[in-house]
Amino acid sequence: MAETTASVSIARMGRRAAIALAAAGILVLSVVVAVSVGAVDLPLGTVWGIALDHLVPGLVAPDWSRAHANIVWEIRFPRVVLAGLVGAGLGIVGAALQAVTRNPLADPHLLGISSGGAFGAIAALMHTGLFLGLLTVPLMAFGGALLATLLVLGVAQVAGATSADRLVLAGVAVSFVIMAAANILIFLGDPKATHTVVFWMLGGLGLAQWPHLLWPLAVLVPGGLWLMTQSTALNAMSLGDETAATLGIPVARFRLAVFVVAALITGVMVAFSGLIGFVGLMMPHLVRLVAGGNNAVVLPGSAFAGAVFLIWADAVARVVMAPEDLPIGVVTGLCGGIFFIWLMSRRR
Amino acid sequence: MLRLSLAALLLSAGAAAAFPVTVKSCNRDVTFDAAPSRAISNDVNLTEMMLVLGLRDQMVGYTGISGWKTLDPVMREGVAELPELSAKYPTKEVLAAAEPDFFFAGWNYGMKVGGEVTPETLEPLGIKVYELTESCIHIGPKEKSSMQDMYADILNLGTIFGVEDRAQALVAGWQAELAEVTKGVDRTDPVRVFVYDSGEKAPFTAGRYAMPTAMIEAAGGVNIMDDLDKSWAEIGWEPVVERNPEVVVIVNYGDVTAEQKIAFMKSNPAFAEIDAVKNDRFVVLEYVEATPGPRNIEAVKKLVAGFAD
Repeated sequence: MAETTASVSIARMGRRAAIALAAAGILVLSVVVAVSVGAVDLPLGTVWGIALDHLVPGLVAPDWSRAHANIVWEIRFPRVVLAGLVGAGLGIVGAALQAVTRNPLADPHLLGISSGGAFGAIAALMHTGLFLGLLTVPLMAFGGALLATLLVLGVAQVAGATSADRLVLAGVAVSFVIMAAANILIFLGDPKATHTVVFWMLGGLGLAQWPHLLWPLAVLVPGGLWLMTQSTALNAMSLGDETAATLGIPVARFRLAVFVVAALITGVMVAFSGLIGFVGLMMPHLVRLVAGGNNAVVLPGSAFAGAVFLIWADAVARVVMAPEDLPIGVVTGLCGGIFFIWLMSRRR
Repeated sequence: MLRLSLAALLLSAGAAAAFPVTVKSCNRDVTFDAAPSRAISNDVNLTEMMLVLGLRDQMVGYTGISGWKTLDPVMREGVAELPELSAKYPTKEVLAAAEPDFFFAGWNYGMKVGGEVTPETLEPLGIKVYELTESCIHIGPKEKSSMQDMYADILNLGTIFGVEDRAQALVAGWQAELAEVTKGVDRTDPVRVFVYDSGEKAPFTAGRYAMPTAMIEAAGGVNIMDDLDKSWAEIGWEPVVERNPEVVVIVNYGDVTAEQKIAFMKSNPAFAEIDAVKNDRFVVLEYVEATPGPRNIEAVKKLVAGFAD
C-alpha cells in the first residue's frame, strides 16, 4: 500500500521533471530561432559563434565583423530576453488577477495599471524631459503604474467596492480617466512626437539593452515566485469570497497583496516595453484549455506560455516588414487572436 | 631644417591636423578624434547638407527618404551609388549592419524622443550622432528659428569632417546671396504669411521654431503663427481665418499635391474671406526647401518673389 503511493509519487515526479525539461527545451529553441532572425541576414554559424564567444570567451576564433557582433549581442539577445521576461510577467499576472477577481476577462491592462504606466511615460517624454537620464521614462512609467493601482484601490475603498467584480469596474473606470488624461498630454504635447506615443500604446521591445534587463528580472523573480506559492489560496479564491474565507484566507487583504504584486510586475514590464496587449489576458486561458484549472499549473504555465509567445511574436514583428519593425501589439493581437479562436473551436 | 619642412608638411595637411574636434549638438558636446568615414544621413534635407559639402565618399548610405518623399533628379544623381538602408526611420539593427561611425539625424528627422534610435542608444555601437539644430526644440529650450540654425549645421559638419574651408565658403556665399536676394525688400509692413504643410480637418504648420519662420522673415514677411511655441505642429483653422494671411506657403511632398492643397483652401467657404485666397496668392515650396538645408536660400528667393506680387 505504502509502496504504491510511493511509486505513484515517484511517477508523478518523473512526469513533472519530463514536462519541465520539455518546457526548458521549447524555451531554448525559441530563443535560438528568435536570435537567428532579423532585418539583417546573418549566417547561423556567425550568430552562434558570437554567442559562444560571449558566453565562453576564447572558445571560437572570431571571423565576424564588429557590426555583426553588435547586432547579435547588443541588439537581438537583450531584445529576445526582454521579450521572454515581459511575456512571462504579463502571463503570470494575468493568471493571478483572473483568479482573485474571478473574472475571466481580467488582465494587467484592464485594471488601470498599464494606462498609468503609459501616462507616466508620456509625461516624461513630452513634458518633464529626461531629468533622470536614460532611466527617466521607465521610472516615470513605473511610478504611473503604481499611482494608478493605488487610485483603483482607493476608489474601491471609498465606493465600498471590495467585492471582486466591483473592483474590476473600479479598475476599468480609473483606466478610462487616466487614458483620457494621457490623451490630453498628447494633445498638449508636440503632435510630431505623437508617433512616440503610438509606439508606447502599441508596445515594442526595441529599447532593450543588457543593463536594463536587471529591473524586469529583479521584480519578476521574487514577484512570480511569491504568486506561485499562493496557488492554493488562489484556487480557493476562484471558488468565491465566502468559500475562501471559510478556508481561512483573509480575502480582502490577500486580494490587495496580489494586486500590489501585479502592479509591481506590470509596471516594470510596461516601463520597458509599452502596452503589449493580449498576452496577460489570453495565456492563462490557453493554459487552462490545455492543462485544466489548477493554479499550481496555470501560473507557471502562463508564465512559460507568455514568454514563448512573446519571443515568437517579436521575431515575427522584426521579420515581416523588414527593415522596419511592426509594432508588437499588432502581431500579438492578430496572430494570437486567430490562433486562440482556432484552438477554442478545435477543443469543443 | 628637417623640423621646418615637417612643420610645412603639417601646415599643408591643413584640417587633418585639427583633430580631435568638439562640436555642440543640441545640449551635448560631441568629440571626434578623426573625420567619420562611414556616415549615414536621414531625410532629404540632411542628406543634401552632406552632399553639398562634398561628403558622398564618406557616406555608406541614407535613410528615411522614399517612405514619404521623392528624390528630384539633382538628389538622385547625388546619392546614385548609395543604398537606402530604410525607407522610413531606421532601426538599430539596420544602422548597425551598415557599420557606420556617424549618423546625421534629428528629432522627428529619423530619431524619436525616447525611441530605439537616439544618440545614447547608438553610442555602444560606436556610432556618433550629430542632431539637426532645428530639431533641438524637441528635447530642450531653444532660440527662435533663424537662418543661423542652418549655417551652424553646415559649419559643424565642416568641423566634424575636416572640411571647414568648404563649409565657411558655402555659408559666406549663401549670406552674400541672401543679402543680394533680399536687397530692397520693404520691411515697414511685413507680409502676413501662413505655412500650410498638410491636413484638412486641422492644418499642420510651422511654428516659432521651424525653419520657414526664419525664411519668411528673411524675405520680409511674418509667420502669422510665430507665437506658436512649437516647431512643426497641428493647429486649428480658426486662428488662420482670424489672422488673415496675405500669402499662403504650401509645403509640397507626399501624396496630396500642392494643387490639391490650394484647391482645398479655395473651395472651403470658411476661407473665402482670407486675403491670400481672395487674391490667389500661394507660394509652393518643396519639402527640401522648407526644411533646413542648402536650398533655403533658393526658397527665400521664391518667397521674395511671391511676396512682391
